[in-house]
Amino acid sequence: MSAFVFGYYAFLILASVILAYVEWRKWFMMVFSLTLISFVLGIVGGTPALRAVATFAIVLAVAAMVSYAFKEFLIQLAKPNLAKELRTAPLTAAFGMFVIFTYAIAGIFAPVIAPHGEAEVIAGAFAAPDANMLLGADQLGRDIFSRIIYGARNSVGLALVATLGAFILGALAGLLAAVKGGWFDTFMGRVADVIMSIPSLIFALLMLSILGTATWVIVFVVAIIYSPRVFRLTRAVAGNIVVMDYIEAAKLRGEGDWYLIRREILPNSMAPLIAEFGLEFCFVFLLIAGLSFLGLGLQPPTADWGSMVRENATLISFGDVTPLIPAAAIALLTVSVNFVVDWMLYRSSGLKEQ
Amino acid sequence: MGDLTRLVLKRLGYGLLTLLVVSILIFFAVELLPGDVAEAVLGQGATPETVQAMRDQLGLDRPAVIRYLEWLGGAVTGDFGVSAVSGDPVMRVIGARFVNTLFLAAYAAVIAVPFAIFLGVLVALLRNSVFDRVANVMTLTSISSPEFFLGYILILYLAVKLPLFPAIASLSGDMSFGDLLHRAFLPALTLVLVVTAHMMRMTRAAIINLLASPYIEMARLKGVKPWRVIVKHALPNAWAPIINVVALNLAYLITGVVLVEVVFVYPGIGQALVDAVAKRDFPVVQAASLIFAATFILLNLAADVGAILTNPRLRHPK
Amino acid sequence: MTKKNQELIERIVEGAKKGQISRRDFMNYSAAAGLTVAGATGLWTKQAKAAPQAGGTFRWGIHDGNTGDTHDPGTYVTRTMIFLAHTHRSYLTMINGDGSLGPDLADSWEANEEASQWTFTLNSNASFHSGRPVTANDVVASFNHHRGDASTSAAKALLSDVTDITADGENTVVFSLSGGNADLPWLMTDYHFAICPANDDGTIDWKSGDGSGPYAIDSGEFGVQFSLTKHEGWHGEGAWFDKVEILTLNDPNARQTALVTGDVDAVSQVDVKTMALLERDPNIQVFNIPSAGAITLPMHCDTAPFDNVDVRNALKLSINRDEVIEKIMYGAATKGNDFHHSPAQPYWPDDIPQRDYDPDQAKSLLQKAGMENLTVNLSTADSVTAGAVDMAVLYAEHAKAAGITINVVREPNDGYYSDVWLVKPWTLVSWGARPTPDVMYTLAYKNDAAWNESRWQNERFNELLLQAKAELDESLRAEMYREMAMLARDDGGTVIPFFNNFVYGARANVGTPDELAASWESDGARAASRWWFES
Repeated sequence: MSAFVFGYYAFLILASVILAYVEWRKWFMMVFSLTLISFVLGIVGGTPALRAVATFAIVLAVAAMVSYAFKEFLIQLAKPNLAKELRTAPLTAAFGMFVIFTYAIAGIFAPVIAPHGEAEVIAGAFAAPDANMLLGADQLGRDIFSRIIYGARNSVGLALVATLGAFILGALAGLLAAVKGGWFDTFMGRVADVIMSIPSLIFALLMLSILGTATWVIVFVVAIIYSPRVFRLTRAVAGNIVVMDYIEAAKLRGEGDWYLIRREILPNSMAPLIAEFGLEFCFVFLLIAGLSFLGLGLQPPTADWGSMVRENATLISFGDVTPLIPAAAIALLTVSVNFVVDWMLYRSSGLKEQ
Repeated sequence: MGDLTRLVLKRLGYGLLTLLVVSILIFFAVELLPGDVAEAVLGQGATPETVQAMRDQLGLDRPAVIRYLEWLGGAVTGDFGVSAVSGDPVMRVIGARFVNTLFLAAYAAVIAVPFAIFLGVLVALLRNSVFDRVANVMTLTSISSPEFFLGYILILYLAVKLPLFPAIASLSGDMSFGDLLHRAFLPALTLVLVVTAHMMRMTRAAIINLLASPYIEMARLKGVKPWRVIVKHALPNAWAPIINVVALNLAYLITGVVLVEVVFVYPGIGQALVDAVAKRDFPVVQAASLIFAATFILLNLAADVGAILTNPRLRHPK
Repeated sequence: MTKKNQELIERIVEGAKKGQISRRDFMNYSAAAGLTVAGATGLWTKQAKAAPQAGGTFRWGIHDGNTGDTHDPGTYVTRTMIFLAHTHRSYLTMINGDGSLGPDLADSWEANEEASQWTFTLNSNASFHSGRPVTANDVVASFNHHRGDASTSAAKALLSDVTDITADGENTVVFSLSGGNADLPWLMTDYHFAICPANDDGTIDWKSGDGSGPYAIDSGEFGVQFSLTKHEGWHGEGAWFDKVEILTLNDPNARQTALVTGDVDAVSQVDVKTMALLERDPNIQVFNIPSAGAITLPMHCDTAPFDNVDVRNALKLSINRDEVIEKIMYGAATKGNDFHHSPAQPYWPDDIPQRDYDPDQAKSLLQKAGMENLTVNLSTADSVTAGAVDMAVLYAEHAKAAGITINVVREPNDGYYSDVWLVKPWTLVSWGARPTPDVMYTLAYKNDAAWNESRWQNERFNELLLQAKAELDESLRAEMYREMAMLARDDGGTVIPFFNNFVYGARANVGTPDELAASWESDGARAASRWWFES
């Protein structure tokens, strides 16, 4: 039995005992479950499996600690009202916020953080990671880490603006349609149908081939493509609300459409919209990656994560992890955004239980 | 129910209008694209002379509006014309491929829809538990990488390392149904992974959104079991947004699968449409786009009817 | 000889017997193991050379196909159609595995003294799949399909100096030219010039898909797949397989995995990025064949700043060809020297100094031209060739050292050849392999050629082009091509970083001839009739 295995179990059992003694039941249960799982896996898979479990647990623990610290940090900084809200945030949401914060910093200060230039060729193709290059080199010998950092700026920025655009367009139209009804509702419904009934990649292909591939055109076209989805959802949710009695009452009070939208309908339809935002954001991300598949994406050598996955995708068939790095960057962001969204959704639903 | 019939008829009428607008948009978009079918077909081998000769043969020098009206005249009588590139009837070019696409979409939907809704209800019930988190992380991760990449990973593990399924899903006429299911499994699984997260999360969101409503509160205070609260009380009122998202994803399964078709070499209609756009083959682009549009309109109609049927307030508007 | 080497040689011979290594690799490995060339050759012929065997269904994945393809030879453009054409149709002549010209439908051919009239005699055994013999009329009609005002054929330019084509009896066809062309028999191998059955009115019946090639089409769907069965009355040698299935596999990963899992027996193109990884699989053989296909970067010589020869040469000096070949082609390329004449073509001048990366000289040339800190746009698209955009980005990095800023403009894949090529002043283009330098120069470097992509006008070059074309004396001709190469290299407007290799693969149980043709991927597009299954 190696020192690692011995130390590992000793640590776990000691920790369990201490936790049991101070009666931190939740933590005790977690640590002791981990001990039991480790026993089983250790017998089945031997030391390597045990090491994997330990690594996983440590990663998880570090993530949890960072999230906790980050949450406390935010609470200290925030104003009292906001701090109260933040206290209700589960660790997952804090983790999400931490990742988003990190990405934002990476994106904003990319030129300072990235050790090498976005397009700078510094090594041979697919050079292995070393002290100089954290994640190794890509197919042209550019530093992958630096390109990921720059990619945060380009991909996230672009997707964020496009998603916001889609939401502003779609939600506004949807709320107005629900409130006004009649011909406006019908008309907007038809417009949305027309846009949605053309497959998004084909629509983008047509529009970008006609209008060119300047960045603002990409943002505009993507916003147009996704706005009908938001419109339909908003319309459906708001449609259920406008038939409620309190809206009827407000109308009888003589409130205007804008008031109804702002004060009555929007707050009550926020939850599904927020849930949708998290998902649409990641769909937009992928659509932009899909565009580069058709040669319509960002201009090279600008780094964006979608293209970075695509460029070396075939390597995955030989177990090479190069394309997984940008894919993981996208996945981490998507998961984080949706963690935060889940919490906000939970809050806005008014459920108090935890 | 008379109201509902009238609504359906009205929506179908609007649907036809939408199709007309789509066909006009597509026609002029294809017209506006740089290059025309003659240049596209000849490609690198084009010279001004040969391009002109081909334009003459295809009648491309006539005004766009006239060409559109000619096509429309045929289309309303059910004749979608012939492919500008091959001269074959359009329906022969895309008919079989549309059937393939429908098959793949149905295959994926049969797995994904019940699975996603079941999972959605389950995570709403177990909200904020470890299970909820894990299910969320898994489904979100699955939609975080581009579809083709997901396909590559599935091929690597389920076709190359463990040779359970064929890596390419090329179909041929004389396959039994079981063979078809086996061949098309990997593309279908890719699509399931792509659409499940969206439907699952919307189900979860829609249900959680209702949990604070007074009547749910009431049910809970009465001591109804949590799963009963959700299935009997919350779910019926959450159907509208869920059905909407399901319809959206079903439409996506039919219209948005170009990349999956390419990766698995599946002979569906998406590839045909992209090829036709590249060749500026207007009649084929038009027919394929209209099929997509019609699919979409019908699914939407179904979703709206579903939403109305599940919400009495909408059924009897004041 | 050491014991280790003895073991190594035994292993190599074993591999050769099983057909796991090609003759070329066999020679290399043997030399490494300490055998002389003669010894290795003896071993190879004694041990490894198995006679081809008949039978089996050859499933062949091809890398480029489109739903909008047709059987019209005038508009062949995708690889699927070109490869299919070489499988179900025939040509007058064909390029052999060793690069020489051999007979296909035509048994023999001869020219008059000026090379302005050529007579082709057809093989009298040749027949279409319908059973009808191939006659001179079919050949005349097939070529007229590419001529005349109403023709929409992309090969029209190739036949511009053909004034008349006549049938002389059942089996003889006479081509009359406006000037001499010693390369006409080579030109007959162009993929457009497939022979189709003639209709009574002198047009051809291309729609039915009938042909006189080794395999007849049973069924098929454009852009998807074709099933073919052996044509029993074929006039040529080979066609070992009973059936051939051609599958369009556009996605590089799909091709690669289909080959690895054995869903296909051969693929037409292997992604160079994964070539080395694929070679490790003992069930796979990867072929890496130098070709005459090239990547060119033509600058419009009539547009500023490219109208200045110093600027053109500065740009030619600012690309690091070795690094481009290493990183974009993973070594699967032959270094280019800015003239469009590859070592895989006849008459290649081997004594022209290689132009290498020299940013300092480029800088001084720019100084001379008064254009320090030059900024230029380079248009490209991923559809041109795998890694095209990457290559442009790499070039831009190289050029920085010479003080040149190259803005890489990624154009839409769709419509690249109609809206960007020949239109934008500096583009990146991929050219297929042409059989002779004359064909290549006439297509894209002649002053009045429709595809003179660099808009280069050089009197001496054009004069030599016409002279060389009609010259039947080989050494004089070679001398002219040498001079033309120097002109193109030092005055022309085209940067040619490399001639790409054809990299394709097959399962280990597929037998191939010792030498593979370099005219197209997959043994000159003729894998179906030249390859076989080893038991």
